[in-house]
This record gives sequence, C-alpha cells and structure tokens, in this order.
Amino acid sequence: MSGEWMGSGHLLHLRWDLDKTYLRTEFDSMKDLIKTYRQKAEDKVAVSGARALLQALLDPHERRTRRVTFVSGSPTQMRAVLTRKLRLDGIEPDVFILKPNLGNIVSGRFRSIRGQVGYKLAALMRTYVEAVHLDELLFGDDAEQDAFIYSLYADILAGRVDAVQLASILAACKLYRQEVDEVMALHGRLFNTGDAVRRIFIHLEARSPIDRFAPYGARAVPIYNYLQAALVLHQGEVLRARDIVTVLEAMSQAGYTPERLSNSVQDLVRRGVVQVADVERLAAELGAVETTRGRTVSTFIRRLRTTVADLEHVRRASPEWIEEINYLGLYHSARFRRTRHRFFGIPLLD
Amino acid sequence: MSTVVIDTCAGQEDGREALAAAAIASLDLDLQIVVVGDEGMITAALQGIAHDAERLRVVHACDVLPEDVNVRAAPPRSSVAVGLELTARDPDAIFISAGPPGSIVSLALHTLGRLPAVPRAALAAVYPTLRHRGPNDDPFALLLDVGATIECNSEHLVCFAAMGAAYASKISGVERPRVGLLANGSVSSATPLRVREAHARLRDRALPFEYLGLMRGDQVTHGDADVIVTDGFSGDVLVRTLEGVAATADALIRRAEERFQWRLGVQMLGGGIAKLREFTDWENYGGAPLLGVDRPVIVTQGNSGRRAFVNAIRLGAKMQRLGVIEAVAAGAAAVAEEPDL
Repeated sequence: MSGEWMGSGHLLHLRWDLDKTYLRTEFDSMKDLIKTYRQKAEDKVAVSGARALLQALLDPHERRTRRVTFVSGSPTQMRAVLTRKLRLDGIEPDVFILKPNLGNIVSGRFRSIRGQVGYKLAALMRTYVEAVHLDELLFGDDAEQDAFIYSLYADILAGRVDAVQLASILAACKLYRQEVDEVMALHGRLFNTGDAVRRIFIHLEARSPIDRFAPYGARAVPIYNYLQAALVLHQGEVLRARDIVTVLEAMSQAGYTPERLSNSVQDLVRRGVVQVADVERLAAELGAVETTRGRTVSTFIRRLRTTVADLEHVRRASPEWIEEINYLGLYHSARFRRTRHRFFGIPLLD
Repeated sequence: MSTVVIDTCAGQEDGREALAAAAIASLDLDLQIVVVGDEGMITAALQGIAHDAERLRVVHACDVLPEDVNVRAAPPRSSVAVGLELTARDPDAIFISAGPPGSIVSLALHTLGRLPAVPRAALAAVYPTLRHRGPNDDPFALLLDVGATIECNSEHLVCFAAMGAAYASKISGVERPRVGLLANGSVSSATPLRVREAHARLRDRALPFEYLGLMRGDQVTHGDADVIVTDGFSGDVLVRTLEGVAATADALIRRAEERFQWRLGVQMLGGGIAKLREFTDWENYGGAPLLGVDRPVIVTQGNSGRRAFVNAIRLGAKMQRLGVIEAVAAGAAAVAEEPDL
C-alpha cells in the first residue's frame, strides 16, 4: 500500500460526512434529534476549524481540480436547511447525498434507518469519479462506523477486498437484499480501479481511544480537531503554511487556547503521525507568515517550540500501512461493544 | 484555567493509574493537564484510554526519586523535580504526586518556596468523623501535620492551626473553624512543653478561628474539631492508625464471609457495610495538601488508584479556584503578626 501523497494536476476528491464531522450535532436522544431537525441553518454550528479547512482545500485557484461530496446520515427532508448552512459557510458541494429515511420506513426497511454500512458504502461507490490520477481524502467521525466503511471503500478501489469477501462482510452487517445487490453491482464496476484513498480522517467527537483505529493502519488518522488534519495535509503538501494559519485563526476565534493547539501538535508527534522535524519546518514556515498576521500565530509558534523541546528525544516510527484488514473481526468487535453498552451499560469508550 | 501537573511515575500499576486519572480529568474537567513521566510508557498507554489530547501535554522525565532524598542529591530529571519546576513557572498550576512524601516535601520547599510568615510546611490529611460540617455537609475533618515537619516547636503548631483553619474555611466553607490541639489529656500540665506553649498562645489570643483547647485521641473521630493540630511525627502515626483500623475492620468483614451463617448476616448488613466502606475509604478524599508552599501541592498515597488521583485533581482545582493558598498565607501572617505569639 502506498503512503504517497498526490502530485500537482491530480483530481482531489474530498468526501465529507456531515453530522459530528462538519457540523456540531447532538443526536444521542430523541430530544436531540427533534432539536436538530427543527434547527435553522443560521443556528447550526460547524466543528471548530472544519469550515476553514474545507475552504482551504477548496481554494478557488485549485477548485477546477478539487471535488467535494457530502454523504450524510441526515434525512433527505433536511436538504434545504443543510444546503443553506453550507452556502452560508461559503461551501458549494458538487454532490450532496442524504439518507432516504422516510422511504426506509415506508418500505419497512427498519434496519436501514440506523444502519450506515449499506447506505454509505453504496453512496461512496456511486459518486466515485473516474480520473486518470485520482486522489481521495475522506472525513468522518467516531460516532458511527465511518472508519470501517471508508476503509472498506478504499480497499475495494485498491483491489484488496474481492466479491467473496465483500459478500460475507455485507451478510454479517445484515443488509437488505436490495442494498447487497446494489453494492455488489458497484463492486463489479469499481474493484481494483486504483489505490486512490490517501487518508481517512476520523474526527474523535466521542473521544474514542486511538487504538480502536489502529487495525485500519496509517491510512486512517484519528484526529481530535481540524488543526491536526491540517498539519497532516501540510506534511503531505496538500496545504500551505498560510492555510494552517487560517485554520489556527478560526480555531482561536472559537475559543481554542495556544496550549490546546500545541497539545494537539504534540499528540501527533507522540503518535508518530508527524515527526519532530516536520514541526520544526512548520514553525519556520509559520514564522514567515507571522509577519503579516496577528498574535495568535506568534504565540502558537512559541508553544510549538516548547512542544518540540519537550519531545526532542522522541523518534517515533510512523504508524504502519496495513495490507489486510480483518473487516469481519472489526465489525463483530464494534457490535459486541454496542451490545455490551445497551444491555449492561458499559461505556462505549471502555 | 488551572493547570494540573501530575506525576505518573508513582501510584498503582507503576503510575498507569495516575495516567488513567489524568485521562479522565482531561475529558470531564475544564483543566489543562501536564503529565510528567516516561513518555514512551505514557504514549503507549494513552492509545488505549479515552482522553482529550487537546488538554493533555506530556513532559518526559523518568529518573527515580528515592525516599527522603536530600535536595542536592535529587536526580534533576525525576518526575517530581521536573513537575515541580513546571508548577513553579505557572502561577495557576497544581502539583500532584504519589511519590515519596519526604522527598516531595523537601523538593517542593526548595523549588516553590515557603509562603511568607510560614516557618514550616505541613501536610494536611482529612479523616472521616461522626459530625458533618459546612454548607456541603462534609463528613471529614482536617489533621495536620501528618509528616512534613517531624520536629515542631510551639510557633510551628500555632502556624499549623492558622493554616489548617484557613484551609477548612475555604474548602469546607466553615465560617469560623473549630481548632483543637492533639494532646495526651485535657490538662496541659501532662503534655509536652511545645504543646503546652502552643496551647497558651492559642488560648490567650483573639484568633480568626475558634480554639477548642487540648483534645485527646479518642475525641478526634467524633468530629468536635474541624481541624486537629499536631506535629508531623504524631500526626503520621495517628492517621496511619486510623487507616489501619479501617482496613482491619474491612478484613474482618471479609473473613466473616467464610462461614455460611456469617455470610448471610453480612449480606443482610450489606447496605450499611457498603456505606461504612465508602465513608472510611481514603481514596474518596484524594490526598494530603502540603500547606505553606506557594502553590497547591497534593501528596497522594503510594498505592493510590485512579479514584484517589481523580479526587486529588478535583481537590487541587478547588484549592486553586477558591484561592486557598492566599487564604493560608493570610492566616499564617495573622498569627505571625502578633508580637507576643
């Protein structure tokens, strides 16, 4: 598997989940669901830094070679308000897919209302864009099964999950016949089209333990905030130092202190996702940008340097890319955790 | 926002319980947390624990701090030394460690410095009492010193009384704390000279707290006094005796479960026993704050588990929020300013 980043001139396809990834959404109770459903576009709030990061990725100069698809578990009835929210944030998605939950209820497919695998996997595969040099960046969260679905999608494209394997995974996920047929048909079309997925960013909204994502390998990067995603993308030369500054400033305005921001950088270094040398390079690059920007950047640079000093001895190997992911095992362990939580009240985070 | 500096080289499971507590605090409390210890161990352990990395900074320091070490002989890269250095640099910082108490006290005094008007620092432990106190109905009283200053004179004891009263008034919300001096009888002629002198000084002065006089050991757990003052040697012996009695009672209850009829009896008393265990469980009370130094320092027991550490973190944050250090400094200054004291 390749850990290489894209070069210039490639088509970069960004795939974003909406709730808890781009938008701060609560849907843990019926009351939350109703509140979310009734909320106006103006009242919806993006996760700190998400808007700035997405705007940087959709830089007008690069827009011709960038594409953004939103695949959300929110019902189709919310399309107007969600589209308006994205428009207010200055984001025009190329494709915006919402879940046909009313249709699922009417047709008696109740498992599909909560289930995400069949819906999201099919949506990702349907919206696959063929290009000679395609790269994809996927953004999801830890509240649902995004890491599982995104990795499965990536491995189908890379030719690592064949039809037999996929059929057994879909059977374990208890998908309806119609969903299985659709996914299998798409698999026939997309299998082994190319190893296009570069990174899968998982926003740790529920603060799940990091090692829950280790079985997905280095391609899946759990992040506590979007500064971390921006740093990884800067390391891969997808973003420039001034884009980092934009994300930094957005997060600072949202109440992030320089300590919290530099702690996030330290976390990436300790996990081996970013090396100390990369942080030093970033500090130097930010120093050049600093001359035109405010105090936020200079304070952050100072904290970054302290962080580097704290970890000068750390020479951590980067996480490994994993060729063979045991999807069935991962699905069953996630299901076991959910069952344990439902019947015995054991926290999902344990 | 307060910063909690927590030493992860001591406590249950080689400090992993301290780290687990730091992870819990990072999720539940509005604090910045600095964990000091072996960075390799910390990072590996954190992978499997839910935590908020935005609130957690790791500083590497893994030299072992021996017991009762001389300040000059202390390893400069021990977790306690590095943690105290970080605490000294940040006026909003709190330090928590389950390391050797004697070494922590000497290093804390050396690194953080003593408050003005405080001749000696004191470790203050809480113990459960029958009487509850304050608006929060706190079921515990304060005992100091429990090991920071082994040899005391009367001036030290008077200062401990003032510091303890200031602490109790802030933490338990007792407006005018009642302070007793631990003695072997209620007649001063039978007590050691330092206790007699301290008793005379406290009895004859107007004080910002209520002085109850000399108190025997059996009066301690009744809870008549909110603060009991003694020297570090006697305090350490007393607090460990109280803990030992609670542990022995617990062991006796467990032994009773060996026989069927007794087990039935224990089961019938289950609710009451659970309450008693909860009441006497030292982990509920966090740790012992070191009073007299210029930052909140909390020393927890060497075998502390995550609950003790979490409670110590909560206590430290509360001390910082309520300005306990300033109150202790003012209390000590009030008794030191009296020319006759």
